[in-house]
Amino acid sequence: MSKKTTILSLLAAVMLSAPAVGFQTPDGDAMYGGTPSRNMVSRETGLPAKWDLESGKNVKWIQPLGSQSYGGPVAGGEYIFVGTNNEGKRNPKLVGDRGVVMVFRASDGEFLWQAIHDKLPDGKVHDWPLQGVCSGPYVSLEKERIYYVSNRAELICADIDGFRDGKNDGPYTDEKDTGMQAEDIIWKLDMINELDVFPHNLAAGNPMIVGDLVFTVTGNGVDEGHINVPSPLAPSFIAVNKHTGELVWEDASPGANILHGSWSNPAYGVVNGQPQVYFPGGDGWLYAFEPKTGKLIWKFDCNPKDSKWILGGSGTRNNLISTPVFYDNKVYIGVGQDPEHGEGPGNFWVIDATKTGDVTDTAKVWHRGGEDFNRTISTAAIHDGLLYIADLSGFLYCLDVKTGQHYWTHDVFAAVWGSPFVADGKVYLGDEDGDVVVLAAGKEKKVLAEMHLGSAIYTTPIAKDGVLYIASRTTLFALEEGAQRGKADPSSN
Amino acid sequence: MRGSRVLRTLLAAALIGPALTASAAAGEWPHWRGPDQNGISSESGLISAWSKDGQNLIWSAPFTGRSTPVVIDGRVCANGRVGEGIMRQEVVACFDAGDGRKLWEHRFTPYLTTVPWNRVGWANLTADPDTGYIYAQGVGGTFICFDKNGKVVWQKSLVEEYGFFSGYGGRTQTPLIDEERLIVTFVSASWGDWSAPRHRLFAFDKRSGEHLWTSTPGAFPADMNSQSTPVAAVVDDRRILVQGNGDGWIYAVDARTGEKIWGFHLSKRAINSTVAIADGVVYAGHSEENVDEGQMGRVVAFDIRGSGDITRSNEKWRRSITAGFSSPLVRNGRVYIVDNSANLHCLDAETGQDVWELNIGRVGKGSPTWADGKIFVTEVNGLFHIVEPGQQEARSLDVEELSVPEGRYAEIYGSPAIAYGRIYFTTEGGIYCLGDKSKPFSASRSSRTAWPSQAAAPSGAKAAKLLAVPAEVRLKAGESAEFRVLAFDEKGRALGQRNATWRLDGLEGTIDGQGRLQPQAKTQFGLVTAEADGITASARVRVYADLPLSEDFESVEPGQRPGYMHGALARFQVADLEGNKVLAKGRSPRSIHRHNTFMGPADWSGYTIQGDMLATRTRRRVPDMGLINSGYIMDVMGVHQRIELRSWSSELRMAKVVPFAWQADVWYTLKMRVDIEGDKAIIRGKVWPRSQQEPQEWTITAEDPLPIRQGSPGLYGYSPTTIYYDNIKVVRNR
Repeated sequence: MSKKTTILSLLAAVMLSAPAVGFQTPDGDAMYGGTPSRNMVSRETGLPAKWDLESGKNVKWIQPLGSQSYGGPVAGGEYIFVGTNNEGKRNPKLVGDRGVVMVFRASDGEFLWQAIHDKLPDGKVHDWPLQGVCSGPYVSLEKERIYYVSNRAELICADIDGFRDGKNDGPYTDEKDTGMQAEDIIWKLDMINELDVFPHNLAAGNPMIVGDLVFTVTGNGVDEGHINVPSPLAPSFIAVNKHTGELVWEDASPGANILHGSWSNPAYGVVNGQPQVYFPGGDGWLYAFEPKTGKLIWKFDCNPKDSKWILGGSGTRNNLISTPVFYDNKVYIGVGQDPEHGEGPGNFWVIDATKTGDVTDTAKVWHRGGEDFNRTISTAAIHDGLLYIADLSGFLYCLDVKTGQHYWTHDVFAAVWGSPFVADGKVYLGDEDGDVVVLAAGKEKKVLAEMHLGSAIYTTPIAKDGVLYIASRTTLFALEEGAQRGKADPSSN
Repeated sequence: MRGSRVLRTLLAAALIGPALTASAAAGEWPHWRGPDQNGISSESGLISAWSKDGQNLIWSAPFTGRSTPVVIDGRVCANGRVGEGIMRQEVVACFDAGDGRKLWEHRFTPYLTTVPWNRVGWANLTADPDTGYIYAQGVGGTFICFDKNGKVVWQKSLVEEYGFFSGYGGRTQTPLIDEERLIVTFVSASWGDWSAPRHRLFAFDKRSGEHLWTSTPGAFPADMNSQSTPVAAVVDDRRILVQGNGDGWIYAVDARTGEKIWGFHLSKRAINSTVAIADGVVYAGHSEENVDEGQMGRVVAFDIRGSGDITRSNEKWRRSITAGFSSPLVRNGRVYIVDNSANLHCLDAETGQDVWELNIGRVGKGSPTWADGKIFVTEVNGLFHIVEPGQQEARSLDVEELSVPEGRYAEIYGSPAIAYGRIYFTTEGGIYCLGDKSKPFSASRSSRTAWPSQAAAPSGAKAAKLLAVPAEVRLKAGESAEFRVLAFDEKGRALGQRNATWRLDGLEGTIDGQGRLQPQAKTQFGLVTAEADGITASARVRVYADLPLSEDFESVEPGQRPGYMHGALARFQVADLEGNKVLAKGRSPRSIHRHNTFMGPADWSGYTIQGDMLATRTRRRVPDMGLINSGYIMDVMGVHQRIELRSWSSELRMAKVVPFAWQADVWYTLKMRVDIEGDKAIIRGKVWPRSQQEPQEWTITAEDPLPIRQGSPGLYGYSPTTIYYDNIKVVRNR
């Protein structure tokens, strides 16, 4: 396809950490965090610091989503992908609660196709009502595939272009709908029925590909009584052949120690020439494995030994819902809980990735916690010697990446689920009140602007080709310096 | 943060009169939304600022709660949680409203529930100004009526008697006193017509607890745990209750009979917010998906008059505000409501348009309370606000941050209660009383307005509805029961007792012309049906023969269940296993795989239950199977290869675990005995391959210093693959 040449010429998502040797992610592939290091930083430039939805200034296009959107956005190739629910009713023949991945053309926002999945009959236990697909696809340009986890806890490989290419690519060819706006599944791995995974509430991994392997967290967790892990022998982490969907290795290390669910994402780094894949466990441990074999390299307990798992704000033991970031031979991650459990004390860790075994006592580089850091489900952005991280309580911190020295804090006065996104000398952060704050990147705190997007923001902004994309709960916004959208489209708000 | 809150010009305010219901003493707070169920107090001289260091803090006392207190008879009472470790319990406590002295407390233990510890005590208490009685609906389904001194007047096990669903979510409904009735709502699934899970309303006599009616206005609940207290109103001479249901509708039912009047479909999920009613308009909010568009959350106003489905016909206005928990406060043409992100909105009550908005924190659950020209409102992360609601903007008068002793913020889920010139509220870290210390305290009750009764039924009014009362009874073999028939006209106005003809439906025994039932002394379920004025009404009867109980399922058709079993019936069905009839519990076609089913009345105690069980395996899946005895579960766990004795699956308070290697596809016999020895319960269990001799020793023993003293025998199963049960025996302990 002709689009490939243009895609490959772009510098949209280049690995900012040292590229892996011989076992790496192709340039141009897109995913949550941009690269397998998951660092929430982009080299995009010329991004808008301000926009005005009413007048349309710096607004390129706007597209409605479902009523809840937690997956993506991801910009890959010429497409934007968002995991959402079916309340957008893009297919009037398939209404009712379903999980959806909507696909838009980046250039003009046209809706192209969508993946649409029935809900599991298990209900809240495995597939919480109306939360849609909580996975942002990995976009692979090599064979033009996307990889995501459906609301049914299936790891799915699909054609990047749906059936718009006029072919039903297989091996999976049982799609009922092969229309122009339908999904063309290549293969799928049913983690519940093939691997006995018991996803707690919903499986929500953002897969990652390195080499021929696609890695994801399965979602294994506790039952409705919230203590018992009904399927402790099922894997928390898997590596799957990206071409065939065959399981290559699995790991169930968190097992019966899973505190709640497993909703985080794998990350990847190369430490002194050694590739490592990082899996955050539902037991609060961060695990580093050899990517090809699943052999454990090191593990680190992200909870203090005297911490206690207590539901509510008094609990000091936490999950890993944040995604680890690999940078400079270190891994950066904070702990937190399902926001429904409330705010509470958190910990943010910087872990030396060069050691082996149980490195809990030996690999800590620096740490932030106590009164200085609350529970978080956000991912860090590291740029220019500074680390930006937000917590659920709505504080955005700017810290020295080497020492943890505190430079500034910004309070958004609302819950933060998404992550700070750093690009073009700016830090973007959305919150549950539906506001986006734009600050100047740097040691001096400087608020450049605050804009309201009409409904809560649970995702992280991304940028590609000079365009900033932000998904609120209900709407996808493409924002570009100098763009002028027609005024007051009622669908915009 | 929204940098600048938009303030909009407001329209002329319509004068709003008092709410349509008024029940109790002004000056007291017998219900979580106040005497008139509208969040408004007539108290004056209230403080505008305070400090947890002392200013205007009259007293605080140790208490952990997430409910709103009631204040009556000089006492402030609240539901909460207490104890550590094995002693963790729900608690109802009453304090002297003047000085905070604890007057009494009653602790009780949640059991057979998956509610987590930190959500215990979530329902608010309610109080009856007539009798001074206080009512508590526990998260685990224990319902207690206390007198003002804390003595238990009567108590019910909603799980075993009515099929109460108690789930992890923990949201528990607040009861309501309406005239002579106590209204209790919950999702139930029991037997007969009430087998399907529905969010039902139950009316009991507020003094005796006698069951008057049950109302099932809705469909399958979208959520099993929700919180929306019914609100009483009188509309066109008919007294109604307006309730947010677990199926996402708001329903009006007749307050005297439970008959459904209208429904308004608001949400695709359960309604958790209690409506406000003012000037014939219902104000409601929710934060889940709307039924008619792809957005979450709405605040609506709709006309209270109508019948049938009034969703399309009655709406006055709607706003895209995500307010799923806070109850609206409506006063003087303004609606005040807190959204889920803790923004306090002031809307024009006529049009719904913005008047002002004030951010009060990050997580909004509590409801605003109005008194003395001020709004008192809480935020989950420990914030207590006093706000002056202006005509065009709000002014924050005071914000105080509450904390627990360790220094962290104290969670606040409840709302302020106002009485005797003071403000009362609970937090995770204490119960507080705020007020002006220089003013003398007087708990004397103001003159109480009577229950506003609509006009009496006109002479010659015809009966439109009968109730057979009591609506449901449980009898031991040999006991009799007496029923009566009450008639009501089309507006629910009482016409008095009726003579009726009686018949039995599915029961063996006799019933005479006075409604006196003498059932045959055996285990049986059925109805007694009365006919009068050409209308019929039925009451439900369960009769349990005394122990021993023995069940081998041989007399039951495959696909059916023994008629006396209750709870989760559809999940347990008799199957033919190579010529042997057994009870099978397979993988659930929907929802969870974990269920209990009960085989006796809730008041059995001192017995041993035994049964044979076989588990099947698929790949890594093996079920957990077990017995229930007196509120305790013996769980033989397949994947974990262990036996667990417990009473509360989400809080392993008294649980004991022993490793136990066992296999799928082999019949095992399980035996479980509970004895009350002194102040403790001793729970013993044993498991052995059915083909072998019963071992002498018990395999596992647990002690509970907080004994559950009675409860129905039952079967337990978590069935990702099929479990078979056979040869169940229940015998009295020797």
